Amino acid sequence: MDESSYWNLPTSHLLGSVPAVVNEESEASYGRRGGGGRGYQTLGPPTEGFDQQSQNNWKGVFSISSYTQYFDVDTDVVVNRFISSFYPAGGDFFNKIGANPDLYGLIWITTTLVFMLAAFGNCATYLIQKRTDRTTSWSFDVGYVNAAACGIYGYSLVVPVAFYFLLRYLGSNASLVRFLCMWGYSLSIFIPTAFLLLIPVEILRWIITLIAGTASSCFVTLNLTSYIGGSNDLRMMMVAAFLLQMALAIFIKVWFFP
Amino acid sequence: MSNSHSDTIPLHPSNSQSDIDEIRSLIDDSVHSGPAVVLPARHPATIPPPSSSPFISSNIPPPPPISSSSSLQKLQSVPAAPPPPPPVGNSSSIVANGFGPPPNTLTEPVLDTVKRDLWRIVSNLKLVVFPNPFREDPGKALRDWDLWGPFFFIVFLGVALSWSASVKKSQVFAVAFALLAAGAVILTLNVLLLGGHIIFFQSLSLLGYCLFPLDVGALICMLKDNVVAKVIIVCLALAWSSWAAYPFMSSAVNPNRKALALYPVLLMYLSVGFLIIAID
Repeated sequence: MDESSYWNLPTSHLLGSVPAVVNEESEASYGRRGGGGRGYQTLGPPTEGFDQQSQNNWKGVFSISSYTQYFDVDTDVVVNRFISSFYPAGGDFFNKIGANPDLYGLIWITTTLVFMLAAFGNCATYLIQKRTDRTTSWSFDVGYVNAAACGIYGYSLVVPVAFYFLLRYLGSNASLVRFLCMWGYSLSIFIPTAFLLLIPVEILRWIITLIAGTASSCFVTLNLTSYIGGSNDLRMMMVAAFLLQMALAIFIKVWFFP
Repeated sequence: MSNSHSDTIPLHPSNSQSDIDEIRSLIDDSVHSGPAVVLPARHPATIPPPSSSPFISSNIPPPPPISSSSSLQKLQSVPAAPPPPPPVGNSSSIVANGFGPPPNTLTEPVLDTVKRDLWRIVSNLKLVVFPNPFREDPGKALRDWDLWGPFFFIVFLGVALSWSASVKKSQVFAVAFALLAAGAVILTLNVLLLGGHIIFFQSLSLLGYCLFPLDVGALICMLKDNVVAKVIIVCLALAWSSWAAYPFMSSAVNPNRKALALYPVLLMYLSVGFLIIAID
């Protein structure tokens, strides 16, 4: 490996940046870095479609730079969207996203939720069993991790895609990325819910579940309505979205916090 | 890494023979001339090993003098049919030049390879996990990355967790291994997607090395079974791991997105820490 090439790279002036391994072909593409996407240069010869990223370019599927546009958010933007998803009242989430939907929220909110459900589900099961039977000892059921992962990831991927295809079929315009983004942020309310469901009082748990489920479902429905435009044909869709989100809330309660 | 160009340098550049024929002729010569000529750790004195790392100690022994080997071979071959001296001289000289620069790492004893890899793991560990003056510049920190260290640490953590579990041991190992391996890849992709500048495998290597404190914590938790002690030990190990990973991750992205890049790292280590505490 040629050590001297590290110090001569055009990006070596960036403080703390770790220069990527550069060969002769991709050396030229660094000059275009400011113009094209801000993504990481793939190692190897740059694809011809780097600057003109057409939708039909199959080569773009395997290159990271074609996905960086969905992660073009800063910390304060993500926090803002996260907080706003707690208030189901306004139907303006899609306006807030604007031209910059992000998939960061979807991925990391779902992952956090999986971890929380697995962890707190075990704790809560132990606490409830301890109330009824004093002699139970702590046991960690790894199956909770699998169930949480399948359930949450499956829901957050399948439902937006299904709605996208259905709405496209019915003629209204829909954007897959925006749907994924919105459904991802709608799950954020379940994170504090998982924490609150540790309380080993059954009635309280059901109340908390219903409140959280209603809030999340209202968030989804109101935003969907304001995005599509409320026409009578699509009312079934709204009801279906509401019911699905409530079903998710009840599933979380029944499976992880019995 | 260092033996990547051993594949492409021709055996004997000035010879018009093809490589296969050359190898076959060498084998034939060595078979005819006795076993003493075919020495596994034969290194030419002129050409230094192709390595860029200052940490690889020069553990290559000086090449044995050719005259002693041919005299040895002559002694051994006296009971057998005596071979003509010129082909012996030719074959040994061809061996010295032909296997010249590239296959140092291919033909060295296994113990040398193992020692060199272990030494690299130790030195990387010292750079990443323990306080040292290179931590401020992440580009320097893990210049000589490798994946053996992370592999050992991940497998050790999986085995330690699986050992402590009383039921579903194999599922515990699978969850731990998948979480750590997929987690490292996803964390690296996360930084890349946020527009950060890192090298993929260097980041995987770093995240693997930062598991070392959690490995130590898991080992101690395997031995002591008290819940409070486990919580304290795991918290300390978590803090250490996060402190080790922080400079690398935070400097790889735009300062506006630092928290976005660091949060998943914390999440992964937190979930591993929880597994360590919770597995009974």
